[in-house]
Amino acid sequence: MRQMIDVFSENVRLDELGSRLIVRGLVLGVLGTGAALAFSMLVRQDQFERFAWAYLLNFAFVVSLGLGALFWTLVQHVTRAGWSVVVRRLLEGVAAGTLTLAVVLVLPLLAMIPRLYFWADPETRAADPLLAHKLDWLSYGAVSARLVAYVLIWAAMALWLHRTSVAQDESGDPQLTLRLERHSAWMLFVFALTVTFASFDLLMSLDAHWFSTIFGVYYFSGCALGSMALLAVLAFWVQRRGRISHAITVEHYHDIGKLTFGFVVFWAYIAFSQYMLIWYANLPEETAWMIRRQQAPWVWVSLVLIFGHFFVPFLGLLSRVPKRQPAVLAAFGVYLLAMHWIDLFWLVMPEFGRHGHGAHAGPWFSVIDLLLLIGLGGFAVAAVAHRLRGAALVPLRDPRLPESLTFENA
Amino acid sequence: MATTSELMDNLAEDPRRRAPLVLGGARFGDVTSSVCGVTEMPKTPRAWWIAFLVSVGMLGVLGAMLVYLISTGVGVWGNNIPVAWGFPIVNFVFWVGIGHAGTLISAVLFLFRQKWRTSINRSAEAMTIFAVACAGLFPAVHIGRVWFAYWLFPLPNQMAMWPNFRSPLLWDVFAVSTYALVSTMFWYMGMIPDLATLRDRAKSRARQIAYGIFAMGWRGSNRHWLRFERAYLLLAALATPLVLSVHSVVSFDFAVSILPGWHTTIFPPYFVAGAIFSGFGMVLTLLLPCRKFFRLEHLVTPRHIENMCKILLATGSMVGYSYVMEFFIAWYGGNAYELFTFKNRALGPYWWAYFIMFSCNVFVPQIFWSQRVRSSALVVWIASLFVNLGMWFERFVIVVTSLSRDFLPSSWGYFSPTWVDILTLAGSFGLFFTLFLLFLRFLPVVAMAEVKSVMPQALHAAEKEGHRPFGDYWPDVPHDEREGGGPSPQEA
Repeated sequence: MRQMIDVFSENVRLDELGSRLIVRGLVLGVLGTGAALAFSMLVRQDQFERFAWAYLLNFAFVVSLGLGALFWTLVQHVTRAGWSVVVRRLLEGVAAGTLTLAVVLVLPLLAMIPRLYFWADPETRAADPLLAHKLDWLSYGAVSARLVAYVLIWAAMALWLHRTSVAQDESGDPQLTLRLERHSAWMLFVFALTVTFASFDLLMSLDAHWFSTIFGVYYFSGCALGSMALLAVLAFWVQRRGRISHAITVEHYHDIGKLTFGFVVFWAYIAFSQYMLIWYANLPEETAWMIRRQQAPWVWVSLVLIFGHFFVPFLGLLSRVPKRQPAVLAAFGVYLLAMHWIDLFWLVMPEFGRHGHGAHAGPWFSVIDLLLLIGLGGFAVAAVAHRLRGAALVPLRDPRLPESLTFENA
Repeated sequence: MATTSELMDNLAEDPRRRAPLVLGGARFGDVTSSVCGVTEMPKTPRAWWIAFLVSVGMLGVLGAMLVYLISTGVGVWGNNIPVAWGFPIVNFVFWVGIGHAGTLISAVLFLFRQKWRTSINRSAEAMTIFAVACAGLFPAVHIGRVWFAYWLFPLPNQMAMWPNFRSPLLWDVFAVSTYALVSTMFWYMGMIPDLATLRDRAKSRARQIAYGIFAMGWRGSNRHWLRFERAYLLLAALATPLVLSVHSVVSFDFAVSILPGWHTTIFPPYFVAGAIFSGFGMVLTLLLPCRKFFRLEHLVTPRHIENMCKILLATGSMVGYSYVMEFFIAWYGGNAYELFTFKNRALGPYWWAYFIMFSCNVFVPQIFWSQRVRSSALVVWIASLFVNLGMWFERFVIVVTSLSRDFLPSSWGYFSPTWVDILTLAGSFGLFFTLFLLFLRFLPVVAMAEVKSVMPQALHAAEKEGHRPFGDYWPDVPHDEREGGGPSPQEA
């Protein structure tokens, strides 16, 4: 154990940095979204079809980071973790920021459902025998209601966790920690079910004929990995800006690195399980989805994922050294966030243009995808900065903060 | 200082300090004597003999059944078309699953710094190895002509005959044998310092020599400890993927097929969660009577039991999640065969097996939401029996219901086990309990050296060198802060 760092002498507030981030985030958000709209209208002229798909992709991306942060916060409470207290507020901020934003972002998505999902098309609904038995489940009303319910539940959980934790900064009441622990247990159950069905509704039903029981776990693995990678980046960034510059130590980065590494492997395990079992059984109703991703241009994205999402970070993070270099770990964090985005791109975009509205395939990539990443990403930065600005960056009076401050990897 | 009421209870929750993991005011010497005392009892307890004789009797039954099987042929079992995989596979998967808790506790919980694992890891690992031994038996005798069992391995031979590398059954051979090897190594290596303790305390020459050989000259020097701890960390890192891989590969045996109810992508993580669930069920089944009988309640404390209950609740619910996903996707996917299989499981001729499975694995663990239940050893023990039962039936449901009614109604059937099936299963418990009782009698049942490292005394020793005692950080924080009445950070 190391000497305790006096956290009270540290700069633990974002202050004007937060305000600046909010402004910049909003500017990026408006510019990115505006440029995407303009590009759709003036250049692509496809009645916002690609815009809708890019929006779904980036919505799934932004929300996944919030969900991962929510998951990690819940797990830290349930396991009564000590090491992570000093970085937990960052997770709480990401979860509360992005998931409350999701409540707003889901509304345009509801309007885009007819452009995204072929099951929403009245003609298809009438003619497709494979949809006949689930028309009630996959109907505009049912899916919209579920999507709204998911984001409301997520936002409520994330806000409650954030608020309760912030309230402890004031009162220092250890009972709040116990309350957080107790409620986190059942919240994890709610989390598991909502994330699973959200991933089914948002992503799996893009090809409403296809199904995979592991799909929810696959999306979850990306959430957990992406948010841990984001935590490495965020911690590094706030420290570079002179916030909590001593309290977060190499030891915390080391643990973040270990969890990131663990979830690189977990993602690969889940991805392999899904792929291998479908490949092996070779049933047409399942392979169709995979074959699409094994043909050009998607095969290249698939290969990028195998190497870039697994082998490179696996080898890169295997050793102790990179995990204990905050800058290196943060660089891996940025890299893994990019990979996570590509992973979602790989889930969404091969389905683009297969049905409806002229059934035009491709192009496989559009500038709109990136413009909306900037747009929704910008809004997310503003939302997270807003949450982080409202309170200290560290749960200052969490009873386990001293344990976190003195934490050392044996 | 702990009051008397706290001496045997560490369930009280105060986030300002970590609960003690060793109770009763025990010191290092007390840990050594209570753990060594189990094997050093001058007279073997009568209860042990009774349990041992029953177990050996059942082991004898196993032997007799195997002789009958091998001399007669697999026709003595209930296995037949369409249910060609009957009890042997069910038992194999059941036992392999049980063998998951040990390595999870020793490796995964070690990497997650769960210090409470130290009191239970040794016995759980022993249980793991014995369970894997029971598991390994079934595929070996299931192949029919056991004298060709070595064909399972890719051995170069004059016939140029190789096993099918694309078959998950072959992957199983590798996965399970690797697992058996690594977990045995892990178990034995972790035991070396404790074996040396037993050697040093031995009163008879025979014990001295026996423990001396297995202690491999352990002297407890700094250099020994340094290497020991490095090796432990490395083995933990190697064993962690094995916890996931073994049961994933076992699940592939089923999931690569196209049989409804077997082919589903969630099988690998679902099987792993189920394996951990069943493993912890068995750990509780064994450990609760042991701690009582050998008076180890101060080492395997109420908190240990509570933590294990929570793991049962978590993993049981993961299993429940998988059941729900399977059922949901069977409907959502629109495959008539798949949907029929699941309806058939729940309402068909094997509805009772499905009912046992679902209620034991999903509903029973939900009682652990209540702390009162978690702190009652008897209730926990009974629940753990249900977990064992439920997990056996889960494998029965998977294997038998899917095979008995697949695509062609003309080839449907109903599987009934023969008396040989049932006695072989019972006999495998004989093998398991015989080995476990021998372990209890001759080996250190708790990892003494590791337990000592999480006791306050070890940390007080560190404190003298200017470090903080484990789990109590608050002395350094000003008193008013501890009470929560200090200035808020905004004012400060």
